[in-house]
Amino acid sequence: MRDVFVIGTGLIPFGKYPDKTLAEIGWPAVKEAIVESGVPPKSIEAVYCGTALGGMLAGQRVMKSLGITGMSIINIENACSSSSSALAEAWTSVASGRHDVVVVIGVEKLTKFGGGTLPLEREDWEVNQGMVMPALYAMRARRYMHDYGLTARQLGEVSVKAHEHGALNPNAQIRKRVTIDEVMASRPVADPFTLWHCCPTGDGAAALVIASADVARKQKAQPVRVAASEVTSGIYTNGYRDMTWAELTARGAKHAYEMAGVGPKDIDVAEIHDAFTIAELMYYEAFGFCERGGAYGLLSSGATSLGGDIVVNPSGGLLSRGHPVGATGAAQAVEIVRQLEGRAGKHQVEGAKVGLAHATGGGIAGLDHGACSIHVFAR
Amino acid sequence: MSQAVDLAVHHDLANAEPRFVAPALVESGAAGAPRLIGGRCAKCGALSFPRAAVCTECMSEEIEKTELAGTGRVYSYSMVHQAPKGWSVPYALGYVDLTDKVRVLAHIDVPESALAIDMPVRLSVGRVGTGPAGEPLMSYTFVQA
Repeated sequence: MRDVFVIGTGLIPFGKYPDKTLAEIGWPAVKEAIVESGVPPKSIEAVYCGTALGGMLAGQRVMKSLGITGMSIINIENACSSSSSALAEAWTSVASGRHDVVVVIGVEKLTKFGGGTLPLEREDWEVNQGMVMPALYAMRARRYMHDYGLTARQLGEVSVKAHEHGALNPNAQIRKRVTIDEVMASRPVADPFTLWHCCPTGDGAAALVIASADVARKQKAQPVRVAASEVTSGIYTNGYRDMTWAELTARGAKHAYEMAGVGPKDIDVAEIHDAFTIAELMYYEAFGFCERGGAYGLLSSGATSLGGDIVVNPSGGLLSRGHPVGATGAAQAVEIVRQLEGRAGKHQVEGAKVGLAHATGGGIAGLDHGACSIHVFAR
Repeated sequence: MSQAVDLAVHHDLANAEPRFVAPALVESGAAGAPRLIGGRCAKCGALSFPRAAVCTECMSEEIEKTELAGTGRVYSYSMVHQAPKGWSVPYALGYVDLTDKVRVLAHIDVPESALAIDMPVRLSVGRVGTGPAGEPLMSYTFVQA
């Protein structure tokens, strides 16, 4: 396998664009990434577009807006991991030698559903019994609180940290700091979660241009390398499962660390899938940033806040930057690349050299989650 | 025409019979006691819920209908306040670990103040929502044992 580099990034501010089409949300991010890369559009050999709920041929709809068509365009649905899975497929196409220049898109428009919890597949028997995504994570939280003595208020501090970071990010959907009292006093969604424990729904798009070493070194002095690219799925059981342990993420993290030749102590910055407050704490443990049960201690030490040793979600994460499902993975990758290039602005992690992006999700009966995709980037 | 449609709607509402959201999952047993219906693989004995068409342990398609345990413990739960139209919010949703090692998602019909991790529960049936024609939506539920 060949080395793979990121040579262009694009991202629109996440938010609510009910009057725009999916293509109108998507093309500005793709244009930005292509212009930034410096490669001529004709050199793009393939496009991998991730969207969970954007409908058929999303990638074609975005690319034809820019008049860049005719190449291979593959659309990928993998719930919250849609565009991170698209990045993984794009990585494979360059690493294998098949292509030299490939575009990755993540695009989603959730405002078309008019708000509320994410529409899930009614064929799933748990959904048919009243399962909603906040309830799934809330049950993880409730059990974790029971097993490790965490309080709902301590859990709420994840949201305070996320919004401290997001307030510094011009591309975040929610650029507002919240206090722990505001978190606890907001309306209940799924106990122990109030509204501020949950990521907002909205619209967004992100894009990357990735390339082989030959191309990348012509365009950039020191391009960011994709050191690991990894996708896994949940393991099915209809028996008992320890919901306080993110087995799928832990398995993926182990593979990703091995592939990149790094360990948790080498990670300077991470964008991880904090769809709900408990998720961030459980993923600290799954990534080995701390021992099991030690996540709140790590959070309260400040290590994962800007200025700490392992800054988690400097963008504000899903809780603050927003979570237009299929766009999230690409947005995380854009954030990490810009962090490693030292151009993240007010939420820059000083001197970051190794970063990771993690998108996982998909509520599906019998699985921890449907999919998990992890990428490690290095400068 | 529109009057006829309206009358039809009113007729449905007046005769809104309760409807089970997943009728195959629960049956009425002796003395009306509910029975939770799952599957048992004839080849390897693995249990499934809902009853599987193909065994996830050995891929056998010989799955017999079986009654699952009617008692268990609440592994975790959440009081759900925001849900799609039709559900009676707020409702308690939980994972129940049945004594035969199967985990089942269910509405937990226990007052919020009494809900607790690991609490013993038993199978019941109850109303969980309202259908489009105003009909009560029913399902298997669990109540305090």
